[in-house]
Amino acid sequence: MFRSLNDKQSQRSLVNLTINGMLVTAPQGQTVWAAMALAGETTTRLSPVTFKARSAYCAMGVCFECMVEINGMPNQQACLFEVKEGMAVRSQKITEQTSLLTSSEITPSDAISMLAENVGGHHG
Amino acid sequence: MTAIRKSDVLVIGGGIQGSSTAYHLAQRGISVVVLEKDTVSRHASGVNAGGIRLLGRNIAEVELSKAAMHMWHQLDDELDADTGFRARSLINVAADEADLNTLRSREQQMHGLGYFHEVMLDQQELRERLPHVADHCVGGVVSEQDGYAIPFHSTQAFRIAAERKGALFCEGEQVQQIRKVGDSWLVSTATQQYQAEHLVNCAGAWADLISVMIGDNVPMSYSAPMLMITARMPHFATPVVGAVSRPLSFKQFENGTVLIGGGAKGFADRANNTTRLDYSLLASGAHNAIEFFPIMKTACINRMWSGLEAYMPDNLPVIGKSVRSENAYHAFAFSAHGFQLGPVIGQVMTDLISEGSSRFDLDPFKINRYERKVL
Amino acid sequence: MADNLTAPSFNNSYDIAIIGAGPAGMSAAITATKAGARVVVLDDKPRSGGQIYRNVDASPLANSAVLGEDYLKGKQITAAFKRSAAEHICGVNVWHVGNNGEVLFSLEGETQRLTARQIIVATGAMERPFPIPGWHLPGVMSAGSAQVMLKSDGLVSDGAVFAGTGPLLYLIVAQYLRLGVKVKALVDTTPKTNYVRSMSEIAGALSASAMLIKGLGLMNEIRKSGTQVYRFADNLQVMGSDTAAGVSFCVSGNSHEIVSDHVFLHQGVIPNLNMTRALGVQHHWCEQQLCWKPTTNSWGQSSQSFVSVAGDSSGIVGADSAAAMGRICALGQLVSLGLMSEQQAVTEAAEDQRFMARQQRFRRFIDCLYRPIDQHRKPTDENTVVCRCEERTVKDLKQGFAQGGRDPNQLKSQTRCGMGPCQGRMCGHTVSELLADWRNEPVADVGYYRLRTPMRLVTLQELSRFTDVAPAVTPSIIHSTKSSSSGKGSSLEEKPQ
Repeated sequence: MFRSLNDKQSQRSLVNLTINGMLVTAPQGQTVWAAMALAGETTTRLSPVTFKARSAYCAMGVCFECMVEINGMPNQQACLFEVKEGMAVRSQKITEQTSLLTSSEITPSDAISMLAENVGGHHG
Repeated sequence: MTAIRKSDVLVIGGGIQGSSTAYHLAQRGISVVVLEKDTVSRHASGVNAGGIRLLGRNIAEVELSKAAMHMWHQLDDELDADTGFRARSLINVAADEADLNTLRSREQQMHGLGYFHEVMLDQQELRERLPHVADHCVGGVVSEQDGYAIPFHSTQAFRIAAERKGALFCEGEQVQQIRKVGDSWLVSTATQQYQAEHLVNCAGAWADLISVMIGDNVPMSYSAPMLMITARMPHFATPVVGAVSRPLSFKQFENGTVLIGGGAKGFADRANNTTRLDYSLLASGAHNAIEFFPIMKTACINRMWSGLEAYMPDNLPVIGKSVRSENAYHAFAFSAHGFQLGPVIGQVMTDLISEGSSRFDLDPFKINRYERKVL
Repeated sequence: MADNLTAPSFNNSYDIAIIGAGPAGMSAAITATKAGARVVVLDDKPRSGGQIYRNVDASPLANSAVLGEDYLKGKQITAAFKRSAAEHICGVNVWHVGNNGEVLFSLEGETQRLTARQIIVATGAMERPFPIPGWHLPGVMSAGSAQVMLKSDGLVSDGAVFAGTGPLLYLIVAQYLRLGVKVKALVDTTPKTNYVRSMSEIAGALSASAMLIKGLGLMNEIRKSGTQVYRFADNLQVMGSDTAAGVSFCVSGNSHEIVSDHVFLHQGVIPNLNMTRALGVQHHWCEQQLCWKPTTNSWGQSSQSFVSVAGDSSGIVGADSAAAMGRICALGQLVSLGLMSEQQAVTEAAEDQRFMARQQRFRRFIDCLYRPIDQHRKPTDENTVVCRCEERTVKDLKQGFAQGGRDPNQLKSQTRCGMGPCQGRMCGHTVSELLADWRNEPVADVGYYRLRTPMRLVTLQELSRFTDVAPAVTPSIIHSTKSSSSGKGSSLEEKPQ
């Protein structure tokens, strides 16, 4: 379990964002990955072939394990982005079986959340 | 000094055309050696978009393409390998009334010639097949047998099947000199001499150099058609997609990645085996993809590349016998649409070598079709 | 300060473009601007410092002294860098550097283009992949990540196991302990034989004794804290099926298991190669450091004369040598640009070159002592994941090899190993070494992936909006707002006055 030693947190202004639908407050300048880790939402994505939960590995932009969906855009590296007011972060659930072809009425994020419920690992 | 290596046929170029030719020759018990200057399927045959397309072919190519398509549908069994071929149909999308008019006149022409494999789609049919196509698209045309294959796997499949039947592939062997002595072709590389009765030029973007050594001049050019592939996306398009009047072409593979092409060319440096990309052209390809499929806004590009490909001024390949030398044959300059033809080209070359003729009309593909009498 | 945003503006034609604002990049910029060169520095972090001096000017910790003197001295470089005339474009994703001097980068979701007569690649290091069973499980991270999370966000994980070898591993453990963070165990995989072999290099190391003493000090600190330390461990594996449950390993043939839901792995660092590879400069295999390196001359110049490589991206040298190398690269390029005489450059480079020569002797000792063992670099267990993105295991690669995937590119085409979003960063070295073993040939003959643009994922939408802007000689305002839909901390760092 991660915890913060951010002694200067009170000096930084706070922003509100959602992580997998859960409201989270984080200090400005914090990385999205750090906000996720502190919120206990450490599953960044599902692996595309075997549909297993994955989490950040290098935290410095190299491994691409922390790809999440930010404001509807998938494949964003959580460790390279900083939190912003109103940001919506979701664990990425695009696997080789994710399909938008069952119905033309649903949006990509609908489909992804539906899949997430089937696969598990969805919180909040 | 190493001994000269003899075979009935020497194929220059280890791409899909050369590998398919080797396969068909070996199957008929003809001994064959393939010389490849780099590695098999290193260039266009390994890195192209993998489109298996009969739709929209130049009339001159339709018979060849139909025969090739028939072969693709049984190729995995024939070669006992996984070429990655998937019949998914190919749809060219019409964006407006002008596009539909283009399709109607094409339909009339094709029907007149007795070809019925291209079928027009109205707006509703288009939407049923491509639920995520943009609202403004009015219709299209489909070819049901079309699809895609994995180029590297397909070329390797031919190579491995050919080797099983006795063909020999020599990689890292760049041709330095070609001589005709008596009835024999003598070909030398830096380290080895080869001798054969028949010589086949399948050298892709380097085929004009081989042609000159054989004795045929050819107005071939080469370029670097560019491709990009996305990170995995949710499945949104089963058919391969093109557009009637725009440079757009993409396919979503079973693993979810989307390959975007469209024919835009980068800059080729064939002496150094490298290419440079033209990002503003790729940008307009990206723009078209999003305009036709708004869901592509969420696409992220993972890799961009281009291969080295040969072109003729009329965008038709050179297929057939040499005009200046006996027992020499060409199959090159497929102008970025030769991958689908690969299986049949090997058969054509084998027919030319073993029987002296092909059942196909190869007149439009003659190497000397640009030669004119000077008055 | 990044918190104090200015309207980003930059020229789009420069004498020198430097990629990376770590010690090498910053030092190169300081030297080059002093001599009058027009310099731009691009970096993917919101603030300068690189990984080693990450957030040194904006530490989230009340007492950043726990991170050590070596960290705090980064403040001097960042201050000098900010005073320099170099333009700093931070928080950007440089996704293409062309061999025609073209640099394309994402700034707030838009691709911008600039050109430079000279390029300095200073993209630093990354941690060596640690392909052992279970290394892909959630809960397993690199030890470098622990340090980055600490520096950038003050984040720590209690009760974790640290395993592997190398100075960085001991440093982060010591930093955790100073902060009162409980460490479950340190599993040191440095083999006994390394101690014996490295003795022959000790004479060289003694000349850099200050650094050596620091290293020994760290080990002492850890031992004194009472933290459980296992030495000479091998056969390291991560336990667990869906998430990490701990590690298992052997010491002198006796197996041990330690339960923990967080494991930090480390076995040294290697150059971050994707930019130099995509640029197509020559590389060679370095047996001493077990990694690929761009081939450079004494001025850091690569096989493409306008590209120089400084710091850890040229081979692992450490922060102080990286700074020295940055200065040397800048001097070399100033000569190429006609802004400095060769004689002056030679004079000015002399001290840094002597310093680097001394450091190199120490480096040989470090490389020898902390050389990661074969079984942790070249997995033999068939189910071990090699390519994390495409989930390709040793078994998959063996099969691809049998089907004709003889070199890394053929194997990639055959199996998709290395085709995922990380662009082979996490599997490239493993693949080169595995193929060398399977072919029974030197790694140098096996080669590495051909890498292409983009160096990081770029959205199709962003590319669709890109229009080629010809380089202008006069400065132009490209951006006037700081709003960002993506939320990435993009900005130009403000220069005083």
